[in-house]
Amino acid sequence: MDLEGFEAATVPHMNVLYDAAVRLAGDHATAQDLTQETYLRALRSFDTFQPGSNSRAWLLRIQYNLFCTQYRRGRRMPVMWLDEGEADPSLDLPSHEPGPEEQIVRELDREAVRRAIARLPEDFRMAVTLVDIHGLSCAEAATVMGVPRGTILSRLHRARRRLEAILMPELGRVQADDL
Amino acid sequence: MTCEDFQLRLTAYSLGELDQDELQAARGHVAGCDDCASRALLDRQLTALLRASVVPAPAETRAAVLTAVRAEARGTTAAPARGPARRRHWVALAAALLAAAAVVAAALLVVPAPNPASPLAAAWHSYHTQGKNGLGTPSEAEADRLFAVLGPASRTPDLAAFGLRKDGWAARDLAGHLAAVAEYRDGEGGRVTLMRWRGDLPPMPNGSGDELAAYRWGRHTSYWWRDDGVVWCLVGTIDQERLYRIAEHLGGESEAGEPG
Repeated sequence: MDLEGFEAATVPHMNVLYDAAVRLAGDHATAQDLTQETYLRALRSFDTFQPGSNSRAWLLRIQYNLFCTQYRRGRRMPVMWLDEGEADPSLDLPSHEPGPEEQIVRELDREAVRRAIARLPEDFRMAVTLVDIHGLSCAEAATVMGVPRGTILSRLHRARRRLEAILMPELGRVQADDL
Repeated sequence: MTCEDFQLRLTAYSLGELDQDELQAARGHVAGCDDCASRALLDRQLTALLRASVVPAPAETRAAVLTAVRAEARGTTAAPARGPARRRHWVALAAALLAAAAVVAAALLVVPAPNPASPLAAAWHSYHTQGKNGLGTPSEAEADRLFAVLGPASRTPDLAAFGLRKDGWAARDLAGHLAAVAEYRDGEGGRVTLMRWRGDLPPMPNGSGDELAAYRWGRHTSYWWRDDGVVWCLVGTIDQERLYRIAEHLGGESEAGEPG
């Protein structure tokens, strides 16, 4: 068992895995369980991983399959985002120097964005999570979700139009104040 | 390219997913159409908003995942253990415990609720409904009775080395078993409860039948083991790795017959 190699290939992606898990599962405890089980499954099949290939997409595919087969159990979201007064301070974004994009949105309500994403149907939400948030290509997202690339593009297009409508006040503020 | 054509391709344009010919056509259209240029700008702003909503993994999650991964790796590549036999026994069980913790945690969503009459359910009920505000001290007669039933295991271990202060202890009835219950707190609002009673380990949902088990419910993790006829149950809201180290500490000490 090459534990060192496994950790080098996978641990840098833990934020991505956890973020995707939160968006799938909707709560911290389940997201942590899902992330942990994803890593354990990945460890058990690490000998089939091709060195140099995209370990992030590989992990996300394991996680998505795991969610669909063992966690979802017929639940179709929308999930609620840490509602019922369960706001978790550990979910605050870490402080760091903002990049140009983040400078634009630094004053915007990130929580409103998270809630808007959480209101999307699961298939749309996952496509947005993989491509828009974590920067996978549509082809990589198609592999993760087991659908054609065109389906990913279609889901993204429809999801983004919905998000645009929900977040228009925020987007308008960006346009008016920062540009 | 018309405005309608462009807007159908807007997402692919923003994401850089257009092929070269379509990209050139789209750029040409945007250069001459203010409306579509505004739409493209709005779409870029949307991407910026979405990317800023990333939720990083909490330190607790990172620690739990790494602990589980390393325990799993140790389980598959375990070197021959060294040291005293009793300690070796515990360490092997502890490794199994961690692996079980990962499996049980993942299975949580699908396991049935414990039998309401079992000590497992009684312990969870007790943990959730009593002692949240600390406990007092049992009467001398209760303390004597606890010692008569549990021996040294009735004493409240000192967990100061793990950042926990004692917050009282009590005698309690858990599904017909007299139990010694101790409460602990850390400086950050974390809670740990230790229960001990004489009997058998309760059957665990999806349990393997091993002596040592972990059971998790939401943010509450519990470790269970049995030594010299006494069941030990450690439950808490602190991070899983620290709770595991406490379980290892208590398990090692209980095997040596030395109360903390």
